[in-house]
Amino acid sequence: ADDPAITEIQDWNRYAGPGVDAEPYGVPSPYEAHVVRRNVPWLTADPISSVNFTPLHELDGIITPNGLCFERHHAGIAEIDPAQHRLMINGMVDTPLVFTMADLMRFPRENHVYFLECAANSGMEWRGAQLNGCQYTHGMVHCVMYTGVKLRHLLEEAGIRAGAAWVMPEGADASAMSRSLPLEKALDDCLVAFKMNGEALRPGQGYPLRLVVPGWEGNLWVKWLRRLEIGDKPWQLREETSKYTDLLANGKARRFTWEMDVKSVITNPSPQAPVIHGRGRLVLAGLAWSGGGRISRVDVSIDGGRNWTTARLDGPSLPKALHRFYHAFDWDGSDLFLQSRAIDENGFVQPTKNALRAVRGENSIYHNNGIQTWHVAKDGVVENVEIS
Amino acid sequence: GDVDAGEKVFAKCKACHAVGDGAKIRVGPHLNDLFGRIAGTADGFRYSPAMVKAGEDGLIWNDETLAAYLTAPRAFIKGNRMAFAGLKKDAEIDDILAYLATFSQSGNDDAASAEPAPADTPDTPNEDTAIAEAQPKADEPDDAVVEADAAAEPPAHGVFHLGRPATEAEIAAWDIDIRPDGAGLPVGSGTVLEGETVYTEQCAVCHGDFGEAIGRWPVLAGGYDTLTRERPVKTIGSYWPYLSTVYDYVRRAMPFGNARSLSDDDVYALTAYVLYLNDIVTDEAFELNQDNLATIRLPNEDGFIADDRHEEPHYAAGAEPCMNDCKPGKAEIAQHAAVLDVTPEGDGDEDGTGGGID
Repeated sequence: ADDPAITEIQDWNRYAGPGVDAEPYGVPSPYEAHVVRRNVPWLTADPISSVNFTPLHELDGIITPNGLCFERHHAGIAEIDPAQHRLMINGMVDTPLVFTMADLMRFPRENHVYFLECAANSGMEWRGAQLNGCQYTHGMVHCVMYTGVKLRHLLEEAGIRAGAAWVMPEGADASAMSRSLPLEKALDDCLVAFKMNGEALRPGQGYPLRLVVPGWEGNLWVKWLRRLEIGDKPWQLREETSKYTDLLANGKARRFTWEMDVKSVITNPSPQAPVIHGRGRLVLAGLAWSGGGRISRVDVSIDGGRNWTTARLDGPSLPKALHRFYHAFDWDGSDLFLQSRAIDENGFVQPTKNALRAVRGENSIYHNNGIQTWHVAKDGVVENVEIS
Repeated sequence: GDVDAGEKVFAKCKACHAVGDGAKIRVGPHLNDLFGRIAGTADGFRYSPAMVKAGEDGLIWNDETLAAYLTAPRAFIKGNRMAFAGLKKDAEIDDILAYLATFSQSGNDDAASAEPAPADTPDTPNEDTAIAEAQPKADEPDDAVVEADAAAEPPAHGVFHLGRPATEAEIAAWDIDIRPDGAGLPVGSGTVLEGETVYTEQCAVCHGDFGEAIGRWPVLAGGYDTLTRERPVKTIGSYWPYLSTVYDYVRRAMPFGNARSLSDDDVYALTAYVLYLNDIVTDEAFELNQDNLATIRLPNEDGFIADDRHEEPHYAAGAEPCMNDCKPGKAEIAQHAAVLDVTPEGDGDEDGTGGGID
């Protein structure tokens, strides 16, 4: 039959649309209104100290749009006038300093693409399959291009004293977010960033200033950054003792587990993105990342890990950034058990969830990088499952 | 009062109070139809006995009573649970009442007439403008200072000679963090008994009368011997390694929604009371101070180990992963997702079983 989308003249083909002054700051098509961050109310006591999730199943490539980057706040979004924002460096330095935003713009600037993953990403899946969608199981990750100044330049401007070994970044928000960061990492690749994807940081991402700690857990990337204290010992703050420590089956807990492990997830198909086209050509898409550097390979399985095929990595391969992979095949219409397994440039292979549970138990909350399984039923419906 | 200005002032309140369409009970009651409401009667909110009694004694919220309450919440109704120090400026109170009145059927006359409140007029300057007039330089924006300094010599420090030296008072204002060895502790003290009073006023609304927690707010006490169980209860007594963390965190971030409002002595007293709730001290007269805080050890101090993830067998092997016939038999579903629909459009009745993310 003839397609009326072709044979009939459509409104947009006849009538002029809105002019260039209609949207001074552009917004997505109204047909994309479902592409939003979502939260899970029962996870936390109150949305002011909570998290929302990036809709990974609706995105492609490796860059996350600013408005869809997941947020984790501990006392809501601090609303800061950049003219009133200050960055102080104090502690074991020759000259304690105060910078305005204008001062920071006069340091050498760098641009880098990095992923940011919350240590608790996939944390709800330790005890078994729970949340039905990669937005919820894996959506506490995003990846943008940051513009900022090397933290090293700022610390050297103040002059680091002998014996210094730690840096404490502190946020200006009402949770006084702060962590202890080893000086070695601070001097290596950390940035103090004021732009993401070319524009100013969004308020929910720390406007006007945030710390960037490539490859390490998101909690260290202090937002609304106002102070850097230099010291000789860690501070043992709330966020590195009572939280962000990984409780093991024997009752001991790992602390200072900073680096994010090699990980991947199939974003399409997934529970929120079922197969609607029936049998035949199917393009599987996914994301892989590692805090250790670049992803060197991703394997995919459609039979629950019995047999694996190496997927095609596409787009830029940047260290400590998201990598995009695809695998196209002809679906015969039978049940599929989709899995992906990433390998990073250091040779670390993404483990199964059961391998992690065997070593750590189920109470770790953080750092769950286990292989995810999606079941695709004959009707194309996709579900989060654990399999034999 | 100015409704728009009042909305900004309300930022101080919205950690605990919601207002407007769909406003729910949060830490505090919702504030819809507040004007004309009998104190202590919002449906579903667990009020303090003091607030309930105030309502029974005839307290009705209006411009006058709200202004008195917001000026000094603890003095106006002794024993009520609102952990807020109060609004010090009359203009702020006028503005917030105008804002809240827009959500009340009965409204307040001030907002309805849209006339500027007396506090906004030049002949009754508020504290801020008085200071500004006395010291005109103090309020000038920083870029003006930068312009004035444009011809001056750049500072000598560092490589790029950017930024300026921090003053001692500036460092003292922000550098209030505490380490386990006691570095940073201010001079002061507080007893268990004093802490109980502060705790009941400021903390019990979220953490419960005995640290057992309301809803999903953090549990502060108990949980001994649960760290190896299926549902560990990680409290200050059962899990936290250092007492200094309690002092540091409470001093900088508590009470939630009103950070930095406690005195150093209050924080010593609260820290002492939390030790008491956890049976780490048992004497109500016990006093915590800058000299003894760092000497107290928490039970789980030795419960932490270094990051040894890379030694785990699945990483240590470093072997080439299997590609074919890696497992016997066909894959069978062992477990389905526990929560089938977590989107906001879902029926909302489902609850997680795998724990939150705290």
